[in-house]
Amino acid sequence: MVVNKKINWDLEADVVVLGSGGAALTSALLAHDQGAKVVILEKANQVGGTTAFSGGIPWIPMNRYMKEMGIEDSKEEVNTYLNRLINGSEPDSELVDVFIDNGWKMIDYLHEHTQVRFKIPRGYGDYYADFPGGKVAGRSLDPTPFSLSGLGEYADKIRRNPIFPPLTLEEGGAADPSQADFSLIAERMENNITTMGRALIGAMFQAVLDRSIDTLLETPGKELVMNDNKEVIGVRAERNGKDFFVGARKGVIIATGGFEWNKQLVRSFLKQEVTHAASPAGNEGDGLIMAMEAGASLANMSEAWWYPIMQDPTIEYEDRVFNQLGSGRGVGNSIIVNKQGKRFVHEGTTYMDLPKSFYEFDPVTQTWPNKPPVWLIFDQNLKDRSLVLTMAPGEPAPDWVDQAPTLRELAEKIGVDPEGLESTVERFNSHAEKLEDPDFHRGTQHFENMMGGYQGPKGNIGPVEKAPFYALPIYAGTLGTNGGPRINKNGQVINLRGETIPGLYASGNAAMGVLGACYPGAGGTIGPAMTFGYLAGIDAGNTPSRNIAQTNLIESK
Amino acid sequence: MPSGTHEVQLNLSIDSIWNFISEMNNWAPLVPGYIEHQILSETQSTWKFKGDIGIMQKKVSLQIDITKWQEPDLVTFDLKGLNENFAGNGYFKAEAISDTQTKMTGNLDITAAGMMGPMINPILKSFVPKTATELTDNIANKLKELHPVTK
Ligand SMILES: Cc1cc2nc3c(=O)[nH]c(=O)nc-3n(C[C@H](O)[C@H](O)[C@H](O)COP(=O)(O)OP(=O)(O)OC[C@H]3O[C@@H](n4cnc5c(N)ncnc54)[C@H](O)[C@@H]3O)c2cc1C
Repeated sequence: MVVNKKINWDLEADVVVLGSGGAALTSALLAHDQGAKVVILEKANQVGGTTAFSGGIPWIPMNRYMKEMGIEDSKEEVNTYLNRLINGSEPDSELVDVFIDNGWKMIDYLHEHTQVRFKIPRGYGDYYADFPGGKVAGRSLDPTPFSLSGLGEYADKIRRNPIFPPLTLEEGGAADPSQADFSLIAERMENNITTMGRALIGAMFQAVLDRSIDTLLETPGKELVMNDNKEVIGVRAERNGKDFFVGARKGVIIATGGFEWNKQLVRSFLKQEVTHAASPAGNEGDGLIMAMEAGASLANMSEAWWYPIMQDPTIEYEDRVFNQLGSGRGVGNSIIVNKQGKRFVHEGTTYMDLPKSFYEFDPVTQTWPNKPPVWLIFDQNLKDRSLVLTMAPGEPAPDWVDQAPTLRELAEKIGVDPEGLESTVERFNSHAEKLEDPDFHRGTQHFENMMGGYQGPKGNIGPVEKAPFYALPIYAGTLGTNGGPRINKNGQVINLRGETIPGLYASGNAAMGVLGACYPGAGGTIGPAMTFGYLAGIDAGNTPSRNIAQTNLIESK
Repeated sequence: MPSGTHEVQLNLSIDSIWNFISEMNNWAPLVPGYIEHQILSETQSTWKFKGDIGIMQKKVSLQIDITKWQEPDLVTFDLKGLNENFAGNGYFKAEAISDTQTKMTGNLDITAAGMMGPMINPILKSFVPKTATELTDNIANKLKELHPVTK
């Protein structure tokens, strides 16, 4: 129902930004720098959302750091590369170009006007760098270490991933800690120097503070306020348990992240069930609901940034068992099997691609044979050699990990078909000894080779042979969903008739994913999120102010 | 060597404190994050608790071996992680100031070893003293509750 109502604003600004992740903060900074008065409303009691919690890597073609290092890149190459991977799944081809043309400008802008800095991480390139137009390095950018000491009371409020050490991606921040430089970790911890997503958000939030942009934590946006011309002129938020109306003379930018923690929305839209989201739990699709209420058209709704998730049940984050990115797959001495004990996918493929195999339907048995949990099966050789999830080499396996002296006993323990597992391992081992995998082609993909430190197939294949054997469940997870309101090249939200909804913008995971089902390399989500946050901020900041005082307002009920 | 010592003074006799402390079941639930414990023998017990280090919570299983049982003023113990690579020790000490006044001291010293040690020890540096303080205070408060001052 729509009712006419006069509302007194508790606060007025030109631009109201909902959320404080990468998309939101880029929008806020750019809107401010166009001369707009900006206010940021954040649902959580911390700043930074999934972005602060993440690797913080944006994927940006033709960026300044590539130029500095003499790495050639061109629009033609980027288009060739992206078109091959996007495969026609993009909601709007024009926006792929907009991304390519503006991503590097966004990075330049932040470089010139804030302390946000990146470095090209050694050994990290496009996930399919061997495809035409791909690059073995340059487009994925690693935030440089950032000291939070200038953030005052906000220093502790920048969200952090509980298990990432303060190392950059290149230094091993998201990899095997056995490689880590512990004296550097200790020094950074003492001096509150942070890296990865926390450094990116830290540096952006420093710029927010330098500009005196107000940020209200624990103030979730609840619904949009529209006038009788169906223009968005503000937000009803909640603060201290009460309604809190914030007027927006120029516009509202929804950057509230995905809907992965909203079971109902997940069931409604995703083509695949997601049971284990890796993001903080506040991403419940609030922005999507607000945009739908305002009449937004939607796109890319069945897509997500898929991830095969693992859990160490002894580690909790914000009162839930922590959903971890994990490790141990796609390396020697491990395979992944379904309940039949059968392999079903190239285990070392990208995290975005692997979960697509979970939802293969078998019309004969009318089942999804690879429905998670599926199992990472590995042997003592891997256990001795490297960190698997949180199990350090050389230490006894904890009691929450299933282990057994034979594969048969292990299969029985975890409810997997024992004959299936035995014959799968026998076949896998017979080829693994020759570093071959005729069934799923392990050892042939660029991505796994990169993750294995470019050792060739020996980094990715090896028999599962030394007892005891171990099993870890793998769940259907996501880094965040990737569908939302349809946007145009300025980040403005489009309605069901193809027109813009005046005063409404969306960016990041709260908007449609501009690259469709494609994840070109590390940073495939934050790159477009910040780029469209940048464009939305510029447009909203330059929009003429509207008179929002004392108008008759239409509030959706 | 992450460690912490905390002392409190109580208006109670050393014997009333010892009576309470010498029975593990009395104070086990006062351990911060306590989940369960099992007494295996006179000197050995296993414990599960959830440690809150702010950015995350970690369920920890550990074994405690009593190394000295000196009535009425000293208990010392060793501890080691059952699932994680850490070890340490601690003590509980009571010193009579007068017949009705006692100083009670709790101490914990825990060090993580192995590959993850260098990363965990900086976290333990603040966690261990905080736990020693909280446990000692919890016991003191419980004792005050059990023995209200009657005038
Ligand atoms: C462990 C991990 C590592 C990752 N590493 C990378 C990486 O290196 N590179 C990459 O590209 N991607 C990575 N990702 C994915 C990436 O972090 C996210 O896709 C991206 O950060 C989303 O950015 P965003 O700005 O759209 O949303 P978010 O960063 O999730 O921010 C959304 C914010 O909105 C707030 N919010 C929600 N509802 C409301 C409301 N009603 N009102 C106000 N505020 C609200 C949330 O609390 C949150 O702070 C990773 C993800 C994880 C979990």
